[in-house]
Amino acid sequence: MTLPGNIDFDNLKPEEFEHILPDLFATGDGKVSQDPRLKKFLAANPDCAALVSDLETIAETARSLLQPVAEPSDRVWQNIQAKLREDSALASIDDDYIDPGAPVD
Amino acid sequence: MSCQGQTMMQAPPARANPGLFKRNPPISGEAEAIVAAKRGDPEAFAKLYHLHKRRVYTLCLRMLGNVSAAEDMTQNAFLHLFRKIESFRGESAFSTWLHRLTVNLVLMQLRKKGLNLVSLEETISPADEDSPRRDFGSRDPVLTGSVDRVALERAVAALPPGYRMVFVLHDVEGYEHNEIATMLDCSIGNSKSQLHKARLRLRELLRNPSQSPQPSQSAESAQ
Repeated sequence: MTLPGNIDFDNLKPEEFEHILPDLFATGDGKVSQDPRLKKFLAANPDCAALVSDLETIAETARSLLQPVAEPSDRVWQNIQAKLREDSALASIDDDYIDPGAPVD
Repeated sequence: MSCQGQTMMQAPPARANPGLFKRNPPISGEAEAIVAAKRGDPEAFAKLYHLHKRRVYTLCLRMLGNVSAAEDMTQNAFLHLFRKIESFRGESAFSTWLHRLTVNLVLMQLRKKGLNLVSLEETISPADEDSPRRDFGSRDPVLTGSVDRVALERAVAALPPGYRMVFVLHDVEGYEHNEIATMLDCSIGNSKSQLHKARLRLRELLRNPSQSPQPSQSAESAQ
């Protein structure tokens, strides 16, 4: 899905706008409300302008969710430590392994 | 979807360079810990875990939507990290590398649970009843107040898994559509479409908070 090149932005209908909106958001910096091609349309269709504003705000607010909010329980680290100890023990066994078929010096 | 109704909130100021915010700067002491961890130093493992556990766990929680599954995946991710840390060459930030590793592990698990059984184009598209309403002709409820981070967090938790995955990867984590398409093995157009539907669904959920899960069911309850 890419933005068609033959869109008549001056005579855009809300249904057409709805159809191309995902691509409008995906192009440029995602600021559809600042797109000069849509200035006239959004001014004439305040409900569509409200939709754009809301979707832009959702996308902007989503960035604040990048900050971690939750912490795993202590059980997670305990399990990791236990597994790493198992790995270490296995590696130690491997290091100590003597091939019973190997020739004796 | 609908254009109808008043805007629910004012957009905050434009952000910095999109697409770069996921690339984190190095953390003090991290480089030394990585070198020591490559030698098998248990204290270095502990340091790396404590530096990154919240970020990894939060990512798992958002992608999986379940505390128990998120904890298991966090454990899996760090075990994978510690066992494979020799392969970290420092070509990207360690946190970016760990983040990508975690996303890949989550996606692998989801595919094992059935995402690979049918076309991903269908799989990441929720059922029709989950799709945002497309009612251009009707008037939406008027929104009051503003949307804060907690409300958005709760609404994200209420998204169908396919929508949530693309929304978290793109809008929260900062991946581009081409990256998401590669990770999810779908088309770029599908990624754009899913993201748009996710945002529309979030708009509905934020307008009608009663549709969102209660705090005890949502991600922030894991704190």
